[in-house]
Amino acid sequence: MDEPIFSLKDVYFSYLGKYPALRGIDMDIRQGEKITVLGANGSGKSTLLHLLDGLIFPQQGAIRAFGVALQEGVFNDADFSRDFRKKVGLVFQNPDIQLFCPTVEEDICFGPLQLGVGEKETACRLEKIADDLGIDDLLQRSPHQLSVGEKRKVAIASTLIIEPQVLVLDEPTAGLDPKTSCAIVEIILRANSAGRTIITATHDLHIVEEISDRVYVLSREKKIARVEEPERLLADSRFLEEHNLIHTHAHCHQRQAHTHPHQHPGPDHHH
Amino acid sequence: MLRRNDFIERSLAGALSFLKEAVFSDACALDRGFLQSLDPRIKIITFVLFIIRVLFTRDIVILLFLYALCLALAYYSKINLGFFLKRTWVFIPLFSLFIVIPALFSFVTPGEVLVSFSISGLKLTITRPGLSGAVLFTARVATSVSFAVLLGITTRHFALLKALRVFGIPQIFVFTIGMCYRYIYFFMEIIEHTCLAVKSRSGAKIHYKRGQRIVAWNIAYLWARSYQLNEEVYLAMLSRGYSGEPAALDDFRVGTKDWLWLAGVLIWMSLSFH
Ligand SMILES: Nc1ncnc2c1ncn2[C@@H]1O[C@H](COP(=O)(O)OP(=O)(O)OP(=O)(O)O)[C@@H](O)[C@H]1O
Ligand SMILES: [Mg+2]
Repeated sequence: MDEPIFSLKDVYFSYLGKYPALRGIDMDIRQGEKITVLGANGSGKSTLLHLLDGLIFPQQGAIRAFGVALQEGVFNDADFSRDFRKKVGLVFQNPDIQLFCPTVEEDICFGPLQLGVGEKETACRLEKIADDLGIDDLLQRSPHQLSVGEKRKVAIASTLIIEPQVLVLDEPTAGLDPKTSCAIVEIILRANSAGRTIITATHDLHIVEEISDRVYVLSREKKIARVEEPERLLADSRFLEEHNLIHTHAHCHQRQAHTHPHQHPGPDHHH
Repeated sequence: MLRRNDFIERSLAGALSFLKEAVFSDACALDRGFLQSLDPRIKIITFVLFIIRVLFTRDIVILLFLYALCLALAYYSKINLGFFLKRTWVFIPLFSLFIVIPALFSFVTPGEVLVSFSISGLKLTITRPGLSGAVLFTARVATSVSFAVLLGITTRHFALLKALRVFGIPQIFVFTIGMCYRYIYFFMEIIEHTCLAVKSRSGAKIHYKRGQRIVAWNIAYLWARSYQLNEEVYLAMLSRGYSGEPAALDDFRVGTKDWLWLAGVLIWMSLSFH
């Protein structure tokens, strides 16, 4: 619990050198933690996760992962690359990007087969994970035949099957119905209690409290606006509103207009 | 009356739904018939043998037998025969007509005269070898097309692709085609949804000039989108450990039934050559 597994120092990233996406991010993530990254659209959440997964590299500042500085060249080392990909798994924001194989089964097996997990072991893991996530009957289908929620589950399965130490999820509950959201939160928590570090980007405040020990809020200036425990953060509605995470909701109760922050804290919430 | 943009829209929608139905439908391949239960590799081998046999025979009896066999296989694979005949006979004239018709006549195939007539002063003669050659050719085309179509509709396309690996086709090739297959569908959906979106925002009637602009803009957008997709999918592959050499699950199983079928076909094949 001493050395952080990820440590970011003043990380700066811009797309094509002219669209800044992150400006000076500092972050420390330790083994077994649950981290959430909150932020409005375009605040750089996805970019941050791609950096953590070693897919893109900072133009200024440094990222160290497992004690190694992540730079352009390090992934040329096949052993390091394989080791890192086994340790860190990213679920992409868009499941249509992540699911690139003709069938669900092949897609889920893609990761472990690439990483040299044997066929037998892969088949074994596949069976278990399909059962866990309730996607047995989707295995022979094509990804394009699935609904958004089903695609998301498959995308999570295709990452979880690698059994990564660090599970990185980009908006895992976007566009899902409450029950499916709940199921996904459960999957995340189960992975965490199995010792995995969880890093989630979201703007779904319902799930934040459950899936985080610590919340990083990214501002529209693409810097870290605040680092906080979830309870304290969720209580500060002024701050949340400032960062587009809730909106003030005006409506009428028996012809009496009033406004209040719109948050839906629980299923039994009524206006 | 058909307005111009209506026509474009309809043909686009028609083309998309045809593609979806013809290329992406796995409906028949998921039925539980005889051919669907065979191992795709064995199925491909035997079907290739059948087609080779068709190409090497001049015996109409063998051709008729093979065609009947093909229909019987279709029947036992729970394929609607009406659908199957329609599917196959659409292609047959395409392949055969242009070759067969000239071959009927004496200036291509000389021999015993069957009938002769003249069209606007041109004297034409159909010969007996010409006619029998034409019948033979059509029967060959019909039979081999039927076998090819039958293989296509009773095998899931990705399985067909994967089975190609057995014949020495490199994995990277199979993988790339598989991905194309996946994303062509994705783009088709984008086109379809864009059409719907344009319609929902502008009503059914758009001036065709404006319609053209929208179509042009969409093509540009699609181009940019595919370029971006390319990069993002590559990242997604990297993230799961891709390092230039795709590995795939080998989950084909050859059972007793497959061996029996293969043996049966081989025995018939060698008998038929004597
Ligand atoms: N491929 C790209 N090319 C240029 N700019 C980009 C690209 N991808 C992202 N950006 C820009 O980088 C910034 C951060 O984008 P990012 O996708 O990380 O945001 P996000 O927080 O994930 O947003 P969302 O909640 O909408 O997913 C945005 O301003 C965006 O316009
Ligand atoms: Mg994002």
